[in-house]
Amino acid sequence: MLPTSPLFAFIKMSDSGKNARDPWFAVRRELSPKRATVLTVVSFTLPLLIWSAVSYLPFLWHPDIQLQLSANRKDVSTVYVAGDRLSKGFFPEFQEAVRVQNAELNTQLASEDPLAGASESTVRRANKKVLRHLAPLLIQNGWISDDQSTDDEAIYHAWGELASGERSLKRPSLSDENIEIVEANWKAMSAVSPNYDSDNFVSVPLLSLVPQGKASNPDYLPAPDKVLTSGIKIFSIPAESDRPSMLQRVGHSLQIVFGGFLLAALIGVPIGVVCGTYPFFSRLVEPFTDFFRYMPAPTFSTLLVAIFLANDAPKIALVFVGTFFQLVLVVANTTRRLDMPLLEAAQTLGASQHQLLSKVVVPGIMPSLYDDLRILLGWAWTWLVIAELVGVKSGLTEFIETQGRFRNFDLVFPVIILIGLIGFFTDQILSLIKGVIFPYTEDGAKAASHPIMKAVLFLPRLVRRLLGGKTTPDAA
Amino acid sequence: MIPPADTIDYHTQSPEVSKRFAELKQRPVVLSVDDLTKIFPSRNGDVTALKSVDFEVYRREFMCVIGPSGCGKSTLIRILAGLETETAGAVLLDGNPVAGPGPDRGMVFQSYTLFPWLTVKQNVMFGPKMAGHKEAGVEADARQWIELVGLSQFENSYPHQLSGGMKQRVAIARALANRPRILLMDEPFGALDAQTRAQMQSYLLQIWKNLDITILFITHDLDEAIYLSDRILVLKANPGEVDEIIEVPVPRPRSLDQFIEPEFIATKHRINQLIHPESERGQDTLPFPRMTKQGDDVE
Repeated sequence: MLPTSPLFAFIKMSDSGKNARDPWFAVRRELSPKRATVLTVVSFTLPLLIWSAVSYLPFLWHPDIQLQLSANRKDVSTVYVAGDRLSKGFFPEFQEAVRVQNAELNTQLASEDPLAGASESTVRRANKKVLRHLAPLLIQNGWISDDQSTDDEAIYHAWGELASGERSLKRPSLSDENIEIVEANWKAMSAVSPNYDSDNFVSVPLLSLVPQGKASNPDYLPAPDKVLTSGIKIFSIPAESDRPSMLQRVGHSLQIVFGGFLLAALIGVPIGVVCGTYPFFSRLVEPFTDFFRYMPAPTFSTLLVAIFLANDAPKIALVFVGTFFQLVLVVANTTRRLDMPLLEAAQTLGASQHQLLSKVVVPGIMPSLYDDLRILLGWAWTWLVIAELVGVKSGLTEFIETQGRFRNFDLVFPVIILIGLIGFFTDQILSLIKGVIFPYTEDGAKAASHPIMKAVLFLPRLVRRLLGGKTTPDAA
Repeated sequence: MIPPADTIDYHTQSPEVSKRFAELKQRPVVLSVDDLTKIFPSRNGDVTALKSVDFEVYRREFMCVIGPSGCGKSTLIRILAGLETETAGAVLLDGNPVAGPGPDRGMVFQSYTLFPWLTVKQNVMFGPKMAGHKEAGVEADARQWIELVGLSQFENSYPHQLSGGMKQRVAIARALANRPRILLMDEPFGALDAQTRAQMQSYLLQIWKNLDITILFITHDLDEAIYLSDRILVLKANPGEVDEIIEVPVPRPRSLDQFIEPEFIATKHRINQLIHPESERGQDTLPFPRMTKQGDDVE
């Protein structure tokens, strides 16, 4: 039943001896709380582990080469810069092309016309590009800072240090053939000037550095650490006049979701309850609602913009349209599921028609209604992205859209995950406080014994005890 | 050991018992069911659930209704409660025709019908509050009813914290809090285990004895019917008709020891005869072939 790998050894230890009687796999058999907790943790760590494995183990997938060092090629207009990804198939071809180009240049330099008819200034301009090609490697090694990628003086100095063997690049390092190229180029450069001089720069053509890269995943799957650091980065960017901060975007998105949802609930719940209570209203309202809910909310987006104009109104309206019709039907059904004998008992106790609705139906369906609304809030969240694309793009979606277009997926992922987390935790909290709102349900008894709830409820309980209220003993 | 039916007649009443019945019939009639008929229309023709049911219940009488399944016991009590409407005939409570459910007829259902969102006390207060009585008076009153069914220490508990028997006791208190003229009970102990059931029967007799309350009680348990009632209304199935109204010859106060008294057994025998007539006998043997070896017998 249990793998004997060391990974699971701790689980085995904790339940030692019980395994024979308590199988992990048994149809509809409840797991022990300890096992349930372990599996909950695993359910979150497993996807994270898979993501990490695919990201950090170079032999898993990694179909691309990410350039650490790039090169210009003559007569080729497509430019790859460091950081770009090439397919594993094309990369050797790219390297080879540069090597051939260097070989041709060597023959040209040995010939009588080293410039091959080009003017000195043209050659000098091309040479300056070659000089800067080393910059990304220097930045990654920490020799120069991020904003020094065009600081020719510093780069020039680094070329010298590398050629003389004074210092060497470690991470990532320079390939042997590139060290040779650096030495050859430095020879030509230092012959003109030991320090960088824009006006007195080498005018003999320099060899191109051969592209270097490492195996990588496509840009649409950034590594976890990259997502985390990018996430922290985007959340620490303060707001500017034309660009809201990430927190403001979150707030705006929440406004849309909850605006649409609360509006739908405010109007939909009473209609649903009335439909579930009186067959008259059920027949009058539900058939059309049932038809309407099959029309996808996004198809109304242009219409909603025409009616509600710009800003948030059409967005909230879209969430409303997407949630309202479902809500009416779900609430009507929940209302109908109320135990008929409860209504009959109330009638024999003298409840009038009006009292049946207000004193039995409404309080009777509350716990189920609460669950329904929790599920429908999830529905509302699914409409968020489409709603924020309606009219003027806004909120988190606008950020995802823009960054996704630039293929900055490391910025997109944190936002997607954040939306998931907000939804997940909202639901968890709502589920936890259900027991507090409805202490008479089975969930209520469970929730009250939850450690978090115990902490939350400690004060009110203490107050109640001090006031002398009786605690309710449980029946055997 | 059941003695042959003809040795003791269930009609034979001791002098005290006949005196009781004579007194009982002197009391005013609380509930009068007049030629009651109920027909359920259906696509495959109408189904007559009740046909010309006619009987009277006297003040402070305990009457049980018994009959084979499908005899319309539940339909009858639902019509009395006002939850169904009769096709023909009339139901009179204290001489006034009944229309729709009302607090003058308390009802205890077989399924648990306590309001789960209300505490025991709030459940008992429900009826009087619906009638618009003042909160303070209602609460004190409810406490008394809860005490009567012995659940004072649970008055602030929610129904889900109570056992089945406790729930039915609260249901009884809740029905009584409305001071009904008659208490209608539809197999109220049907879902309880045997021990709890016996306890509940004893509680119910004590409550009945001490209150001005008339009880109409539906059951399919012969012992329960004889143990509890003054008279037993036996219904016939298809269509539901009154077969016989039996005056139970077992003297009061009742006790579990009486279960083996000849009157008790004779009455039980009679009801059995009515519910499972001679013509149906033999239907309870299965055409089952022997699947064990010869000689490997258990009886």
